[in-house]
Amino acid sequence: MDLQTALFLLADGLTNGAVYALVGVSLVLIYTTTRVVNIAQGEYVTFGALTLASFIEGAIAPVVWVVGIGGAVSLALDVRQAILNRRSVVRPVAQYAAIGAVLAALTLAAWHTRSLALQMLAALALVSALGPIVYRLTVEPKPGSSTVVLVIIGVGVSMIMHPMALLLWGPDPRSVPAISDGRLPLGPMDIAYQSLFVMAVSILATLALFAFFRFTLLGKALRAASVNREGAQYCGIPVVLAGRLSFFLAAALSAASGLLLAPLVTAHYEMGFVVGLKGFVGAAMGGLVNYPLSVAGVVTLGALESFASFLSSSYRDALVFALVIPIMLWRNRHAQEDLDEH
Amino acid sequence: MKLLRSCMAAVWLVLLVPVAAMADNRPEFRIGTVNSVTGGASAIAAGAVSAIDLLEQKLAADDSLPFKVRFIKYDDGSDPAKAINAVRKLAQEDKVHIVICCTTTPSSMAVNKIVEEEKIPNISLAAAASVIEPASERRFTFKTPITDRLMLDFTLDDMVRKGYRRVAFMGLDDSYGEGGWVEFNALAKKKGIEVVAAERFSRGDTNFTPQALRVARHKPDAVYFHAIPPSAALAHETLKRVGYSGPIYHGGGAPTPAFLSVGKRAVEGAIVGTAALTVHKQLPDAHPLKKAVSDFVKIYDGHYGEGKADMFAAQAYDAVMIPVRAWSKVPAATRGGDLVQARAALRDAIENTRDYHGVIGIFNFSPEDHLGLDSRSTFLVTVKDGRFVLLER
Repeated sequence: MDLQTALFLLADGLTNGAVYALVGVSLVLIYTTTRVVNIAQGEYVTFGALTLASFIEGAIAPVVWVVGIGGAVSLALDVRQAILNRRSVVRPVAQYAAIGAVLAALTLAAWHTRSLALQMLAALALVSALGPIVYRLTVEPKPGSSTVVLVIIGVGVSMIMHPMALLLWGPDPRSVPAISDGRLPLGPMDIAYQSLFVMAVSILATLALFAFFRFTLLGKALRAASVNREGAQYCGIPVVLAGRLSFFLAAALSAASGLLLAPLVTAHYEMGFVVGLKGFVGAAMGGLVNYPLSVAGVVTLGALESFASFLSSSYRDALVFALVIPIMLWRNRHAQEDLDEH
Repeated sequence: MKLLRSCMAAVWLVLLVPVAAMADNRPEFRIGTVNSVTGGASAIAAGAVSAIDLLEQKLAADDSLPFKVRFIKYDDGSDPAKAINAVRKLAQEDKVHIVICCTTTPSSMAVNKIVEEEKIPNISLAAAASVIEPASERRFTFKTPITDRLMLDFTLDDMVRKGYRRVAFMGLDDSYGEGGWVEFNALAKKKGIEVVAAERFSRGDTNFTPQALRVARHKPDAVYFHAIPPSAALAHETLKRVGYSGPIYHGGGAPTPAFLSVGKRAVEGAIVGTAALTVHKQLPDAHPLKKAVSDFVKIYDGHYGEGKADMFAAQAYDAVMIPVRAWSKVPAATRGGDLVQARAALRDAIENTRDYHGVIGIFNFSPEDHLGLDSRSTFLVTVKDGRFVLLER
């Protein structure tokens, strides 16, 4: 292996790592606030990319119906809850109406515009809205369940969302234009600007989340909600809202990863699942609780995957997923420190 | 009022249907179909399901046949176990004369035993040659899709003719890629082509650079891809990016609109193995397949919309039309007689199909060959200005 080959492998490995990183931090975000190991996180990548592809084709993304129906069911559940708790039903109705109006306006705007930025924003908003809906329908009815139950919920959601993408968009891949088609020449090789965008967004998102949970009161409140649900509730932290918020942010991050990945590999219904799994392996390095460590984990994983495929393309996935075992052993030794972490 | 009217219409329908059925006293030809309407293979089955629905309507309206065709359709959910149950039910309860099963290779392999036990002819829509081989043990199973072996044989001959001796293989790491690799390796050895590298990637991969770098390092005379879009086009693009500039071949999974729309300029010049369907407009009028393919595209696109006709639909179309044609060759007395004898006679009639100009190709079944296609049904095309152009033989 010469130097040029190694540089090529490293550059593409790091791009991949950055894509996984966004999913990795979404997983950490959800786990630290709700204790859900969200297997379905990769599907938001698929949905984000395909929604953008629909808008670019000048069609209304079919995800609108999913968000619409899911939102309506959530609203009905919330109204029922409000009636049972003898609270005013005006508040949930007004909230849902406001969110619905914003989403509808964005969708219509994206449908009629040719501006890529607006279309990306609308795709991001629509898919992010799926996050709290999924939370409302699957996790929220089971407060305080054990991790195993929550993992199985995640598996179930993944098994619904994956075929749903096939149903809504069909099996054909769609190409999505890059934000910039250019390539940055670096000596004998080059890097697509799109790859640099992916890396920049990953780094920014990680830093922002890390700062948010470490330094702000709201971030600390969110973390508290997962450590001790009831305690947090007594302190006046709206636990349910915390869960919805974290699912929203996580869906947004993963969808962003999909939007940025789509120009590199096209948008198709199978793209997200493997990205989700690899994001998980990387995030496992940070024990699903530590942002910088998780990002270091996924970036290492991306680079390692790149070199592993070069050495033996048939066994690359085996090598990558086998990484979980040493990571677990290493995590086990440091388990005590992490308990203090959250 | 509206409700009343629709009620009346419903009553009329109920009254009319038996009358129409009674008027038609031709004997029934029962075709049982098992497709993967749901499950993992549903995307592959979609074309076949549409083609069979279309033929059901078309054959029902056809008064010229001495029998009426009835379809009994089941879904195996892409699960071989369900396919076995469905075929057994079709053979024993529905008493069909022939089954068309199944979409996938695993399901088709699984039902082979039942088909032989029940002595009922079956036409498989699966890709792998193993479904019908050896023909002496798979007496009742036929298939219509072009095999990888047939296509690769043709493609590798082209490489030999052009003097490419050192060839690299890049394929998917699933059963499709594996099937292609086994055939490629065996045929390359036979033809004296040296396989200098064999790399794998998966459908969901986001990075093809490592494999491409490794292939490019061997400086092969040509590279062969056995994959489907988008990964086929993306890996092709990456291979060019890392500095490989030689000829690039693709297998039968590539010639789809998606390949062109994903690959854009990067796939210009790619040489792709395909069937007549992809290039039927460019075939000379005298070509034996021109009429059959054009007619099929006209009917299918006329029903489902422009550009909808694909290989999966064409395979199913032939899989229905071949037995319908064979059934009309079976003597009327046998057709109306004992079911076991009727099935055996149908099997023999299918095996005796000679020079049938289907949509996929020219079928010549024989006791040794239950695919019945030869290199007259395979074509090589190249990508030029964003479309597939037929290469001269």
